[in-house]
Order: sequence, then structure tokens, then C-alpha cells
Amino acid sequence: MELLHSIAEFFEIAFKNLPNFLPGIIATLLLSILSIVGGTLIGILVNLMKMAKVRPLVLLADIYVVIVRGTPLLLQLFFMFYCLPRMGINLDRFTSAVLGLSFHNGAYISEIFRGAILSIPKGQSEAAKAIGMTKLQSFRHVIFPQAFKNAVPALGNQFLLAIKDSSLASVITITETMMLARQLATATFSIFPIYFDAACIYMVLTYTLSFLLKKLEKRLRVNER
Amino acid sequence: MKVLETKNLHKKFHKLEVLKGIDFSIEQGQVISIIGSSGSGKSTFLRCLNFLEKKDKGDIIYQSKKVENKASSITELRKHVGMVFQSFNLFQNMTVLDNVASGLRIVNKMEKTKAEETAKEVLEKVGMLDKANEYPARISGGQQQRVAIARALAMSPDVVLFDEPTSALDPELVAEVLSVMQDMAKEGMTMVIVTHEMGFAKEVSDRVIFLHEGKIAEEGTPEEVFEHPQNERLQSFLNSMTFS
Repeated sequence: MELLHSIAEFFEIAFKNLPNFLPGIIATLLLSILSIVGGTLIGILVNLMKMAKVRPLVLLADIYVVIVRGTPLLLQLFFMFYCLPRMGINLDRFTSAVLGLSFHNGAYISEIFRGAILSIPKGQSEAAKAIGMTKLQSFRHVIFPQAFKNAVPALGNQFLLAIKDSSLASVITITETMMLARQLATATFSIFPIYFDAACIYMVLTYTLSFLLKKLEKRLRVNER
Repeated sequence: MKVLETKNLHKKFHKLEVLKGIDFSIEQGQVISIIGSSGSGKSTFLRCLNFLEKKDKGDIIYQSKKVENKASSITELRKHVGMVFQSFNLFQNMTVLDNVASGLRIVNKMEKTKAEETAKEVLEKVGMLDKANEYPARISGGQQQRVAIARALAMSPDVVLFDEPTSALDPELVAEVLSVMQDMAKEGMTMVIVTHEMGFAKEVSDRVIFLHEGKIAEEGTPEEVFEHPQNERLQSFLNSMTFS
């Protein structure tokens, strides 16, 4: 009886606190979506820079990827938040979090795209060239659509990471799910139910995303045998 | 009138000299077949014509004008020089119709409905209109090659280059592709064909060129080349082919 009672109490507290998470959920969603979109755009841009075969652009793209992949995300966020203002670049907290996360995701996504582009048979770009397409036209109409399709499983993985990584924005004072959980836990002392809520929220978000990605994958497969 | 010419064309891959000075020209409406054993440089030569391989030395002359070695002139040349590949290379992300319309829409910026109309006409010609909405992966090799030919034809090219168009096909699918090419030749299309199909080359060509070790070892009418070969290499090459 005792056990049953404490389980019931646990869920009651967890359930009661759930509405308090709403602003956090919205912040997490915004951070994730913006940094996924931003990261994807950066990933495409990096590949275009490498394709242009202009030395400084290629070098810049390479340095960017090396730095982002070689340092912890936490440090990158600190840099955006504490160091940029000292260099005279003043961004509000939320913008610097979105930029930091976008730059982080962009480096990984650019590598995902690079691999996917390399996997497209050479004959595809040759045929595009032979019919008179420019490099950019060939990339846009022939290579990228195919590469994107191949990249979806790996991209999905990165997108899930992006949702979870957005929790690190709490260290630069963004009130997202994780930050709220910590605040609620200290305020109510109901540590376990509160963090249980946070875990459920992340689970729902990531599960929904991977469900949508599976659907997308299926739809993109129409041109296969 | 000469559509396409090369003067003293040279090409090296690292240290290997693949083309050692090729002088070539093709007249409007002519069909020229290029034969030779593998490694003779015939595919490389064809690919140099539309700059898929960059020549090391020599000139490529299109409609009596030397083609400059810069992106804009090369792109301009490619709009007028169609190419058909051994492995078809249809755009896998597009339907048959979109493949054929792609050059018109993307390169020539033609309006969608107009481009598709033209594409359908060309598809009809190669007998592939009924597969217009299929994806390349869902049709046979012979059908893919016919679509690839249609894709080149849709651009109304001045000359079409064929790089061993039937070599990747199952034997029973070769005929349908050759018959499309034969129709093109009859309609007066200017064609350069790298091929192993000797019977076809003999029947359809105005001139035949035998490449050996990066040089033109012999050239002439099909009769001259196939019935009265002068070059020793050509003789042994033809002998090795007769039973196939």
C-alpha cells in the first residue's frame, strides 16, 4: 500500500508540474528548430564553398569544420556568450545561443552532406555538365536532391542530437526545458518527478521528430526500384 | 560546313599519353564512327570534344570558332553538343519526362509547359512516351538509353556524341537503341559514335576512324576501312572482331 501510495504521489507531482514547463518547451523547440534550420543552411553553404574550388573559401570552410569538431559545444557556447561581447559584438542571449548551436550543428551537417555528395556517381554530374548546366545548376537540380535523400538517416541522427544539445543553452542563461527543470527542482524539492517530466518532454520531442523523418525517408524513396 | 573540328589534340593522364595529336573534323549531317581496341583513346577523345576531359594541347573548333578554355565558352559549347553515355547517366531524382525536359528548363530557362511539350515530342520519337512518368531506376537499360538519347535531342543539338552507347546493355536490348540511332542518322543528325558494334558502324557511318595508341591509324569510308583495311593493326583488330 505504502509503495502504491508513493508511486501515485510521484505521478501526481509530475503531472501537476508539467504545465510549468510550457515556456521551457517553447524555448527548446525554438532553439532546436532554428539551430537545425541554421545548421542545415550552413552545411549547404560549406559544401558550396568547398565546391567553388577557390582556395581561401575552401580553407575557411575547412578551418571552421576543424574548430567546431575539435572543441566542446559547451566551450563554443561560452565563447558566443562571454567572449563575443568583449570583442564588441553584442548579441542578445537567445540569438547567441541559436548562433552557437547552429554553428555547431552546421559543421556536422556539412560533413554529412559531403559524404552524401561523394556517394553520388560521377556520371550524374557529368551528364549535368554535358547538357550545359553550370556547377551551381548541377548542384541544385541533380546532385543535392539525390545527396539529400541519401543523407536523411544521418541527418535525422544529427537533428535528434540538436534537440538534446539545446539543453546546453541553459548554461548561458536561456530558460529552456533543462533550466526550468533545475529551477523547479530547487523550488519544490521534488527533484525526481521534475526531472522525470524533463526526460518525458525530450522523449516526446525526439520521438516525434524521428517519426516524421521516417515518413520523409519513405516518401523520398519513390524513385527507387 | 564543318560542325566540329580538332587540331593536334593531345591528352595525358599523369605520365600516360592517351591522345597524341588528333586531327579530326565532322561535317553537318555526317555520321562518323570511331573504332579501336580498349585503351586506344577513343572514349577520351570523345570526352575531350565537350571538355569532360580537359585537353592538354591542341584546339577544339566549333562552327569555325576556336572554343576558349573558360567556363562560359565551354557551357555554351555543351548546349549545342549532346552526349550519350555508356552508363546512361539519367538523373535518378527526376522522372523520364523531367530528365528530357531538364536541359530546356534549367539550361535554356524555357517555360515548364513548353519544355514538357517538346520533351514529349522527343520521347514519342524514341518510343518512350508511355514511360514519361516513370523513374529511371524502374525501366530497362535499353529504355534508359533511349531516354538519354531523347534528353540529348531535346536540346536540338548540332552534333551528338555517343560514348559506347550499347556496351552496358544486355544483348537483347542493343537493337532497340541502335534502331533509334539509325533513325537519327536518317534524319540527318550529325553524330560521332564510339562503338564496338562493327555491323552498325559499317551500315550507318559516312566515315570510320580507327584509333590506335592515341593516333588515327586509318580512316575512310566504311567500305575502305572494313573491306580493304591497309593498316596492319586494323587488320588484326577486325579479325579479332569477326566472330562476335
